[in-house]
Amino acid sequence: MDLVSVKGLSKRYGGIVALSEATFSARGGEVHALLGENGAGKSTFIQILSGAVRHDGGSILVDGQDYRPANPDAAQARGIAAVFQELSLIPDLSVEQNIWFRHEPRTWLGTVNRGEMRRKTLALLERYDFPALRPDQELRRLTLAERQIVEIAKGLAKDPRILILDEATSALPAREAEWLLKLTRQLAAEGRLVIFISHRMAEVRAIADRLTIFRNGATVAAHEANAVSDNEIVTQMIGRHLDRLYPERVATATDRIALRVKGFSSGSRLSGVDFALREGEVLGVGGLQGHGQRELFQALFGATRASGAIELWGKPTSIGNPRQALTGRDGIALVPEDRRGQGLLLTKSVRENLTLSVIKRFTENGLLSRQKEAALVKAMVDFLRIKAGTPEQLAGTLSGGNQQKVIFGKMLLTEARVLLLYDPTRGVDVGTKGEIFQLMRDLAAKGYAILFHSSDMPELVHVADRVMVMRNGRIAATLEGALISEEGILGAAMLETRAA
Amino acid sequence: MSAAERPLEMAQGPAEMKPSKVAIDWRGRLLDRAPFLVACLMLALIIGIYGSLQSGVFTLDELNLDTAAAMTLMLAATGQTIVLVRGGIDLSIGGMISLGTVIAATRFTDDPSTTALWALIILALGFVIGALNGLLISLLKLQPFLVTLATWSILNGVAMIILPTDGGSIPGWWVGFASAQLFGVTSPVWMLLVLVLFWWWFRATSIGTTIQATGSNEKSAFLSGVSITRVNLVTYGLSGLFAAGAALFLVTQTGAGSPTIGKDYILPSVAAAVIGGVSLFGGRGHLAGTLIGAFVLTLIGNLVFVLHVSSYWQPVASGVILLLSVLASSVAEKAARNRVQ
Repeated sequence: MDLVSVKGLSKRYGGIVALSEATFSARGGEVHALLGENGAGKSTFIQILSGAVRHDGGSILVDGQDYRPANPDAAQARGIAAVFQELSLIPDLSVEQNIWFRHEPRTWLGTVNRGEMRRKTLALLERYDFPALRPDQELRRLTLAERQIVEIAKGLAKDPRILILDEATSALPAREAEWLLKLTRQLAAEGRLVIFISHRMAEVRAIADRLTIFRNGATVAAHEANAVSDNEIVTQMIGRHLDRLYPERVATATDRIALRVKGFSSGSRLSGVDFALREGEVLGVGGLQGHGQRELFQALFGATRASGAIELWGKPTSIGNPRQALTGRDGIALVPEDRRGQGLLLTKSVRENLTLSVIKRFTENGLLSRQKEAALVKAMVDFLRIKAGTPEQLAGTLSGGNQQKVIFGKMLLTEARVLLLYDPTRGVDVGTKGEIFQLMRDLAAKGYAILFHSSDMPELVHVADRVMVMRNGRIAATLEGALISEEGILGAAMLETRAA
Repeated sequence: MSAAERPLEMAQGPAEMKPSKVAIDWRGRLLDRAPFLVACLMLALIIGIYGSLQSGVFTLDELNLDTAAAMTLMLAATGQTIVLVRGGIDLSIGGMISLGTVIAATRFTDDPSTTALWALIILALGFVIGALNGLLISLLKLQPFLVTLATWSILNGVAMIILPTDGGSIPGWWVGFASAQLFGVTSPVWMLLVLVLFWWWFRATSIGTTIQATGSNEKSAFLSGVSITRVNLVTYGLSGLFAAGAALFLVTQTGAGSPTIGKDYILPSVAAAVIGGVSLFGGRGHLAGTLIGAFVLTLIGNLVFVLHVSSYWQPVASGVILLLSVLASSVAEKAARNRVQ
């Protein structure tokens, strides 16, 4: 009998469907891989299983019994523990306090029995041959990799029948990742079910008995691992998109370099990024989420610090803060990720939003020229076809697509010709998406240079002239021409061997 | 190719693992305790100056006197410390202290059983009102600052309705509690000892650890199965309970009720905790630091007195000390962070 059996599972967050038709079944004693693109619904699925969120519809059976955990405690009571990617550890507690948190051995006074806790910790670490850890060290003194290992110990401390590993190897160095794979097999041999999520195909291949593929919140296929090829898996993860969404791609890039970045590094998230963005070019930035794309954009805009060299239009520049990045025709402008939080003042009018950061442009002798401002605003509203009653309408009352157009207008009014677009179509309706892509191509034709990140792969494939794929804070590959495809991007992002 | 045949391929991770058995990280531990150590240093300095200006400072009598002077603040600050470690703040203790004193001043009688009953009612009221704060914060997802500001105002108003001006009376035998002696040591000093023992026990209990963990990282705590609502309920409930306790002690010092006196303890309770190294961001700090901070704030009053300067210098000095300790902890925090990276 299946240990876990899931049918028609669904979950909505407001208007967004995170999971619609998830099915899943797995037996005890197997390693079951869960695969899917970013946003395919894997995270929601394991959050439901581990009791962190509750599902709206569908059924879960564990051991043939109905399962609907109210919270992580209830999930643990049924023998399900999760090792989260977003770690569930407490920075101000020690390693052993974290491992046994809420399950500490106690004395008659209700206090923690420290001797017993130490003994149990050492026994646990020994039993599973853990890499060296100091039980008494405070968690916030540990490296990311060490924390990940503590998180695994915490999951095992509950002696679960079902252990969920959510990208647990991604933070680990090679030796420790290998240990974890061995551990995973050991756990399966003990009769437990391990649900394993990883974006590294080689790992999945090395340890998974079976795999289930998610796409757009639904299960698309489940396979015995040795009965399916890498290519089939990738194809099923991507699916087929039929769209007339994208404008014709006309090569408008010149030989002039607008932005050159050399050896760009920032903490552990960006290491040694090199690239050149040309005038008239749309350069895509892709890869799996969390591999340095956000950090790259923020660092280029001066919002976070990075080392390395930047040249703008052939001149060496340093960007210490966003104000420096914005200045003039040789500057950089950003369409940020968080439209409502960073890009737009929702309680201000369309006019004010457009002109707030360029107020100097229509100030003469310290006085604001209202006519000049009105003319510029009108030109921009017309050019972008912003659907607002009047320029005085509050930005917060516009649709998502029109809000995004206001941000584009704001960015264009800075006159900067290097544009950083971070997921500019997120939460934008399909019609406006098409307009935004057309606008990007039009701007490129006018000589703007555009760096474009999208969490939606087809957008990169159909809009960008070239696509850089990031992995672990580096450029893993730069795809051009016919090589730009979803398979190519996902391949470079996931399959180590195919990286250029 | 089957799973077994395929070699393992893995990306190079970001960092090499640290070696396991290293010597105890003394410098790290010292840095962790730096704010507390700075508070101890300040207290020693103040006692030193005070002792050099005034005779008889290093006597049991002086200890009895100063502890009695500090005890109301210490009790209020104990509750505040629990809330701060949770990552919140409780302004309503001001209202609760006022309310406690006016109820005591209007209800306490010479009959011990009536008085004891009302003392229990005041304590229970403190816990219930505090728990209500916690419940509001959780269920309405409101800022602790705003919720407790509102309850402070409400409690203050109720106190005014019960007793519009300072007055009422406290039976002499209740007032006598504060000077009762055992082995030459008065009850406030024994209470101080009980507070220290309470914290030693409380921090190691399940609820104590859970409160600290929730203050350290609420989301992680939730993912570990903690009920945030229950944590808030207990945290603010305890804070209200200690505020009520502070009121019951305060009336032994004033011998009367006051509908406005509580506000004098709101910010000092936070200041005492911060001087003692409790983090305003939650998760870190101990009552020992808070108690030392309360002593520092109290002794500054004595110092200003023996220096024969205007008593208005007391808040000035308190502010400077608060700034210094905040500075000390931020410097230590930075040093500790640099070591980790």
